[in-house]
Amino acid sequence: MKKIVSLLLVAVMLLGLVACGAAKPAETQAPETTAAPAPVETAAPATEAPTEAALVVDTCILKEADDKMLNTYTAIAVNPEAPFTDADGNAVSDVAVNTAGADALIQWLLSQEALDMAGEYGVAEYGEHLFYVKDNAPVYAGEIAPATEETKVIRLSTTTSVNDSGLLGYLLPVFESTYGYTVEVQSAGTGKAINAAKFGNADLILVHSKSQEEAFVEEGFARVVDGFEAERISFLYNYFVLCGPSADPAGVKDSASVLDAFAAIADGKYTFVSRGDGSGTHTKELSLWPEALGITKEAESFAAYTDWYVSANAGMGACLVMAEEMGAYILTDKATFLTFVANDGVM
Amino acid sequence: MGSALQKAITLILSADAELLNILSVTARMSIQSSLLALLLGVPLGVWLGARKFPGRNALVVLNRTLMGMPPVVCGLLFYMLFSGVGPLRHMKLLFTVKIMVMAQVVLITPIVVGNMETYVAGIAPAIRETAKGLGLSSCKTFLLMCGECVYQIFSVYLLAFARSIAEVGAVSMVGGAIAWKTNVMTTAIMQYTNRGSFSLGIALGMILLAVSLLVNIVISLLQRRLSR
Repeated sequence: MKKIVSLLLVAVMLLGLVACGAAKPAETQAPETTAAPAPVETAAPATEAPTEAALVVDTCILKEADDKMLNTYTAIAVNPEAPFTDADGNAVSDVAVNTAGADALIQWLLSQEALDMAGEYGVAEYGEHLFYVKDNAPVYAGEIAPATEETKVIRLSTTTSVNDSGLLGYLLPVFESTYGYTVEVQSAGTGKAINAAKFGNADLILVHSKSQEEAFVEEGFARVVDGFEAERISFLYNYFVLCGPSADPAGVKDSASVLDAFAAIADGKYTFVSRGDGSGTHTKELSLWPEALGITKEAESFAAYTDWYVSANAGMGACLVMAEEMGAYILTDKATFLTFVANDGVM
Repeated sequence: MGSALQKAITLILSADAELLNILSVTARMSIQSSLLALLLGVPLGVWLGARKFPGRNALVVLNRTLMGMPPVVCGLLFYMLFSGVGPLRHMKLLFTVKIMVMAQVVLITPIVVGNMETYVAGIAPAIRETAKGLGLSSCKTFLLMCGECVYQIFSVYLLAFARSIAEVGAVSMVGGAIAWKTNVMTTAIMQYTNRGSFSLGIALGMILLAVSLLVNIVISLLQRRLSR
């Protein structure tokens, strides 16, 4: 008897979940009809509005393709002789780093085959390039060593955008099946990804924050891969985009540069969602605020602005959802934003 | 689009290879860790509940404190120990299922001990009296005590299993949520949430609950049969 009652309870709970799930599209359809006229109005001056106009997502790209918002991805191999220290600051000398594996992966990523694949990624699905190959990227044409028993597992510590956009899932299987390696991908914000390498938990990193990369090289954690000249191998780029509500109360769309746009947001105290997690996107965003505001990654630096500056400390997707909910401005990489829009923001 | 339930059903029906891998890693990790915690925790709990000795109360309090250990702290501890620069780096365990199981065992064992201790402390006086009356040796008394606990052990196992399958803080830290290797249901849900694909997260959550429901039904049936 009791069993039946408990089973019934579970069934009711599941039904509740189903109802929530089913109600969502209906709910989101209602604002669609009311929100639809707004994008149409703005569609007149803008040219690329039609894709957004049909969607439920109100957040749209307001500022893009500004040189200040260039987003360059860099691969760096970890140096096994680096000055590793443990949590107490004591030097640690014998840290295991798979240098041969890291070499092979970097050499392959810089091969013409992989560069072509990366450059074309997303064109079929989104009709736009998600990543561009850097013009001056060094192309590797030499031999790539196949995996051996010891070098088989490669630990790649990377930023969320290359993983979440599906780029690595698209590239790595080709590399793995050709050369017999297994690439273990840990993805976190650039800050965390670099820290994982400093703790000896990665063989190479693929990140996008120039200042943090340079510090990493400066401290001696990087290594020059055979066949390349510098530690930092920048080979892919795309653009960050400044997004916000389609009504654009700060007038970001008409501002002359992205710096003016950020100044306008700060002046009008319009809500802005910051990643706040030390990621590459966060680092870029910090560099775009007017210097007089003094916003850094330290919490005290924006304590005075909390009425409009939201430090979310979350992933890009979660921050986009937050910005959509709050009608806030946000700086995002384009790949994640396009995926977000493709999902209709229905979460 | 579409409701999360639809997504969950299509996910299951499509028998997506990555989903199957996540399911099998989850099953391996939670079954191993809950069984290990049971093996360690039950004898300890029975002993702690049945015996009276100086310092027992201190041990009980210590155990109850450990019951409340935040999973992230446990995960952080293991991460620091087994990290590439940590003292135990040569074991090369970071980002493996093994270390996830170890962290889980550290988290769950106190809960098993605490539950067994509370239960046994309640029934111990009566059993001790019976054993005395029958003239049983202390070893046999202990076995009798364990025999009386069968029903409770099943309940405690379910608790351990539930805790293990639902835990996310420690496993994401020491496992690294690496696809095809250490990604379990909870860490996958976290990843999807961070990406903003909430409905896929909910779909996985539903599958997780369904698995939990299945395990609970099976164990509850076993419990009834065996403790009769």
